[in-house]
Amino acid sequence: MNKELQVKPYEMINAFLLFFVVVGSQIGVGIHGFQRIIYSEAKQDAWISVILSLLLCQLVVFIMVRTLKKFGNLDIYGIHKEIFGKFIGNFLNLIYVSYCSFGFFVIIKNYIEVVNTWVFSYVSANILIASLLLIVIYAFSGGFRVMIGICFIGFFFLLWIPPMLIYPMYYSEVRHLLPVMEDLKGILKGAYSMSFTVVGFEILNVLYPYIKEEDRKSVNKYAQLGLLFTFFMYLFIMLVTLTFFSGQQLEKTIWATLTLFGIIRLPFVERVEIITICLWMVIILPNLCLFSWSAFRGTQHLIKIKPKTFVWIFSLLIFILNFFVKTRTEINSMNNIFGHIAFVVVFIYPFLLFLFGSIKKKMKRKKVTGDTS
Amino acid sequence: MFNFGKKDKSDKSDNTKKAIQNKKAHYTGQELRQKITPLPREEFVELIKEKINTPADLITKNISESITIIFIDFLIDGNTLQQQMIPELLKMSDVTPQAIKEKLPLSQIDISNELEIVIYEMLTGSVLIHVENKSEIVIANISSTQSRGLTAPENESQVIGSQVGFNESIATSISLIRRFITSPNLCNERFILGKESHTSVSLLYIKGVASEEQVNTMRQRIEDLDVADLVDSAVLAGLIDDSTMSVFPQMLLTERPDRFCNALLSGKVGIMMNGSSMGIIAPMSFVEFFHSREDQNLRWQIGSLIRLLRFSAMIVSIFLTPIYVATLTYHYEVISQTLLVPLSESRAIVPFPPIMEALILEIIIELLREAGSRLPTKVGQTIGIVGGIVIGTAAVDAGITSNVLIIIIALSALASFTTPNYIMGNVIRFLRFPIIILAGIWGYYGIVLALCFLLLHLLRLSSLGAPYLAPLYPLRFKDLSDSIIRLPSRFIKRQAVNINKGDDEESHQQKIEKVSENE
Repeated sequence: MNKELQVKPYEMINAFLLFFVVVGSQIGVGIHGFQRIIYSEAKQDAWISVILSLLLCQLVVFIMVRTLKKFGNLDIYGIHKEIFGKFIGNFLNLIYVSYCSFGFFVIIKNYIEVVNTWVFSYVSANILIASLLLIVIYAFSGGFRVMIGICFIGFFFLLWIPPMLIYPMYYSEVRHLLPVMEDLKGILKGAYSMSFTVVGFEILNVLYPYIKEEDRKSVNKYAQLGLLFTFFMYLFIMLVTLTFFSGQQLEKTIWATLTLFGIIRLPFVERVEIITICLWMVIILPNLCLFSWSAFRGTQHLIKIKPKTFVWIFSLLIFILNFFVKTRTEINSMNNIFGHIAFVVVFIYPFLLFLFGSIKKKMKRKKVTGDTS
Repeated sequence: MFNFGKKDKSDKSDNTKKAIQNKKAHYTGQELRQKITPLPREEFVELIKEKINTPADLITKNISESITIIFIDFLIDGNTLQQQMIPELLKMSDVTPQAIKEKLPLSQIDISNELEIVIYEMLTGSVLIHVENKSEIVIANISSTQSRGLTAPENESQVIGSQVGFNESIATSISLIRRFITSPNLCNERFILGKESHTSVSLLYIKGVASEEQVNTMRQRIEDLDVADLVDSAVLAGLIDDSTMSVFPQMLLTERPDRFCNALLSGKVGIMMNGSSMGIIAPMSFVEFFHSREDQNLRWQIGSLIRLLRFSAMIVSIFLTPIYVATLTYHYEVISQTLLVPLSESRAIVPFPPIMEALILEIIIELLREAGSRLPTKVGQTIGIVGGIVIGTAAVDAGITSNVLIIIIALSALASFTTPNYIMGNVIRFLRFPIIILAGIWGYYGIVLALCFLLLHLLRLSSLGAPYLAPLYPLRFKDLSDSIIRLPSRFIKRQAVNINKGDDEESHQQKIEKVSENE
């Protein structure tokens, strides 16, 4: 393995930080408006879809960790090379890097769109994106530990969301949830549409070599805990949304969570969603950092590049790309495409990789025993 | 038995020959590097005079036919010279440098024939005794230390607790520290820094408690320094920082011996410098800059509350004015109806946009602060109070600013003064300006942008290699008991926030045992 790809000892992190990483990577822009998409498929049973998607996530994480454990110090890029050889492996790496970059782009675009719609309708999106990219560059050049640090801090900026949602609960109508389990196919479809909202934890694939060796056995535990936290967050928001809105209303609400924030009225402050949206930057920053980092790690396998050069080129590409996607409809269809791709990359591919990995290992073992005999 | 390790720098007293020879390494004047040849009296005096450019306060005196003493006036203790040295020298029958060295009843006395040592010693308060036609010179150190008396620390005053501060003499300061820590493990390494100033600097730490790695880093940084002069320890701290470009201080300057010793005892590394009444402590975390020694002298509940108050004050101080600017410029809808009326009433006659208004007032506050701190105390107070009231009320009456903004600005200025560390307090006040400007451009979005930048910057910083945001990130549960809050002493580990090694009392104990086994 080449030297640059090796993780330096001071960059190693404790396994318990994975909890924050998983939460930080999962919760991002999806949470603003995932309710409508799920609702359009699963209707009042949308919350069951959320539960289903959690179960699927847990299974995937379990398989992911199993695969990674097999290969010791390698991340997904190394595993690709190991299993499929250099040529095909690098091709897969390129796809994975593009997926991460796409994820980065989707997040930044969605966030800026929300800012443009709710807070500043007259500020150019390009300038806002440039400002965010600068922050990402600053974080990126601080190194891996700084990025994990921002995941950790970002977590505490999430904690005030559930208490805020108690206010809309005064207007809740529990009967909106009835009847339960009406359309099983719809529920499954809803779980499928959740993929845009729940992805992010696939960062484990890239992060695994960064976990301290003695801590690696608890990777699964902390990752699962992270999933659970996100799940409860989503479930709570989903339940509040479903009971607060009537069906037809919800179908017309693009950012249901923000609308929920909008009705909060405190004696000294109103329109909390404006504050929320701005503070959301701290929450999506981990997303951006992790996606760009994982794209960087993949790129390192393909070409020799320094982190600083990478992040500038990467940001420039994202900035240029941003000119091609403009309207709300374009962003929406982009989200849909990303959802589909994410489902394949995050929920189906790990199983295939696990399969190939096991076969490869078995073949290798056979070879070794064959040689000795 | 107390001589730890191979390095003799950990001296217990400075009067040994080794201490003098150590200084040699730092003396760089090329033309002085020569051996003294046996010279008659006049020629030797001429040589010395020539090398140090004939100062008016150089005094040479012939005691007897063969003995000459040379010294610099006011640097030495006249009484000792008159009553002890000269009579003894006159009594002597056998006049060789060795005999003089042995017979003179002085504790710090040495012989050398190296010109640079001789001159250097004379400049630090020694009397040179030259014997006719001998190359060796006796160096008798009878320097008089002149320093002001010990007074209460003015910049870090506290209600409860010891009321003594360091002063400008390193000897006094270190003796104060030794009175707090009577431990054989207290190491004191002496360095001479500055090509011209020859300032003596002491690196202090407690062996077995301080992390070896950090001590080495600090020593390395001091040795690598290449400066012409050092005037104050604040300058030194700036030179050996981890990140010189950052606005945040990464090492603490304190004038309180109790705080200094507390830090040493909890595993930090300290530096004292001659000529400065401030000691340097590192590594420091961001949180610790908001601690005061007094927190530990109060009951823990009160101490915790006061700490929490300080942290919220810091946040208020940084973000309150920007929030006002952002809200009034872009986000009127956030203000609730009850608050909207008084706000718009007070803003009605103000011609400036909020950002101008806020910047003007912030600058006025800074002006008042600066004027107050430079003037003599009596005048300063008057200026502060009268200036504040006059400018404040008049500004509102004249319609330059709104009442609400005056309250907000005063509040955030007040909040910034609660920071116990003066340097950190300045940083907090400085941070407001860029954030106000960002708030004026992008509203809340700008404020959060600044917040992100600030968080990332703090995450990137380190102090002597230890993370700056510890114990919050990386999270260390054990150290949280003495960070934003303060729990009773039994919950607080003696090891400091930043020390990785010897996390618990046990291994600390083992370390000490190991050290004593090595003897």
